[in-house]
Amino acid sequence: MGLTALQVILITGLAYFKTLDISTTQIFAFDTIIFGAITGLILGDFKTGLVTGATLQLMSLGVAALGGASMPDYPVAAIIATTIAITTGKGMAAGLALGVPVGMLCINFDVLLKLINSAFARKAQSYAKKKEFKKMTRIIPIMTLLYPLQSAVPVFLAIVFGKPVVEAILNFMPDWFTVGLNVAGGMLPAVGIAMLLTYMPLKKYGYWLLIGFVLAAYLKLATLGLGLLGIAAAIPTYRQLVAQNESKKATNNVGSGLNEEDMQDE
Amino acid sequence: MNEKQKNGVLTKKDLIKTSIRHYIGISTYNYDSGMASTVVWEQFPALRKIYKDDDELVAALDNHFKFYNCHPWLSAIITGATLAMEEKDGIESKDAVQNLKAGLMGPFSGIGDTITWVMLPTILGAIAGSMGKQGNAFGMWLFVLVFATLFVLRSYLYIFGYNQGVNLITNLGDKLNAFTDAISVLGLTVIGGIISSTVNFKLALSFNQGGVKLSGQSVLNELMPSLLPVALVGLLYWMMKKGFKMTTLILAVIVIAMLGAAFGIFKV
Repeated sequence: MGLTALQVILITGLAYFKTLDISTTQIFAFDTIIFGAITGLILGDFKTGLVTGATLQLMSLGVAALGGASMPDYPVAAIIATTIAITTGKGMAAGLALGVPVGMLCINFDVLLKLINSAFARKAQSYAKKKEFKKMTRIIPIMTLLYPLQSAVPVFLAIVFGKPVVEAILNFMPDWFTVGLNVAGGMLPAVGIAMLLTYMPLKKYGYWLLIGFVLAAYLKLATLGLGLLGIAAAIPTYRQLVAQNESKKATNNVGSGLNEEDMQDE
Repeated sequence: MNEKQKNGVLTKKDLIKTSIRHYIGISTYNYDSGMASTVVWEQFPALRKIYKDDDELVAALDNHFKFYNCHPWLSAIITGATLAMEEKDGIESKDAVQNLKAGLMGPFSGIGDTITWVMLPTILGAIAGSMGKQGNAFGMWLFVLVFATLFVLRSYLYIFGYNQGVNLITNLGDKLNAFTDAISVLGLTVIGGIISSTVNFKLALSFNQGGVKLSGQSVLNELMPSLLPVALVGLLYWMMKKGFKMTTLILAVIVIAMLGAAFGIFKV
């Protein structure tokens, strides 16, 4: 199955919108799965898109670009993987073979666009100094519009030229390679989870990790159920800490009150 | 509400306009000045109204062109507050504005990054991903719903910051810590669970013992469910603590998975 011109435009547009959203409004931020699903919808196979998006969503768990860092572009991987999976008819593994590397490559484009932004920011500042305020307010949103090209261009190239490349690779690809990709897909969520744990107060609340693990691994509780239980556990923690702060404040106030009196005495 | 607003030049309409402009977010991010251009663009119409004098306006803009990098959602509180400060004290507030921005951007980013960019996507992503793999789109829509709600709230954060002004730090500090801790409890519970539900690979090796074929994975299952995933997460956690970079570890995992599959050690 080939792509129609309209499908190419829609999918490229989706990739553009994806970065526009994550750099501004962030309504679909980190929602890798929905970009797979919408791509599937465009190509008439919602289910494949959903499942491919879901797989990449799980791979990306806990991986975040903090403090302006760059991260592999999982939604881009989902869009490309879904497109390739559906158009070649060879399933998700074939899609992932192209989608994941391009998603990783996107890190470089992200860095490039951030470097280009530097030039625009400097220009804007020089306009401000020259009191050319209109020019300044016009040049800043250009960055907003250029920035999403980092995902639109790679997706366009991959879906237009990627299919023959992937098919050629697939014909040479030994079985273990596909198995390996699936194993990698199963292992990669561990990177994100480990990354996430490094941000968390493990020493203070690490025992909740055990509770969650036992409930899921031994008692097979679903993730949504775990989330609800976690909310129940979070509420008393919050209340207790707020109460602690209040009592601390109260004692501090008493302390400072005494000090004032002391000073008056002097 | 208070005298600041009575004396102020900014109307409610100006505030709403500025709060909407702040949504250009991190699209202007660069390595020299962070997201300073965003703050300049977001506040320009309001600053123009505050500073009638062009030279003062230039000085104020120059101040905002200094390096600033913050989590874009919580940044709204900071820039809302500095706007109130500039409205009240004019260009004299310049240093105070810079100090507030520089002082709060770090802690706010820490809280915002952890909650909205790491924990929420992990929890919602785990739900959406595990449901999606079964062909169920409910989790995906839940993800969108939560983020769309938070999107709307970001505007209110801006107004909130404006109303708080400089009192921000004292009024917010303690509650934010309690909230972060509470969310951490939720996060850890879910993470404990998703280790077994999302990390998924098995031992493919099997042994012959006295003519009986014994699969390695069933031996591991006897010890503990999800033993391999737990071991992998533990190993990666330890390596990250040792300073290995995330991208290095991602590549290493892919290589190990490929080799493991090629030599028949691992399977899904």
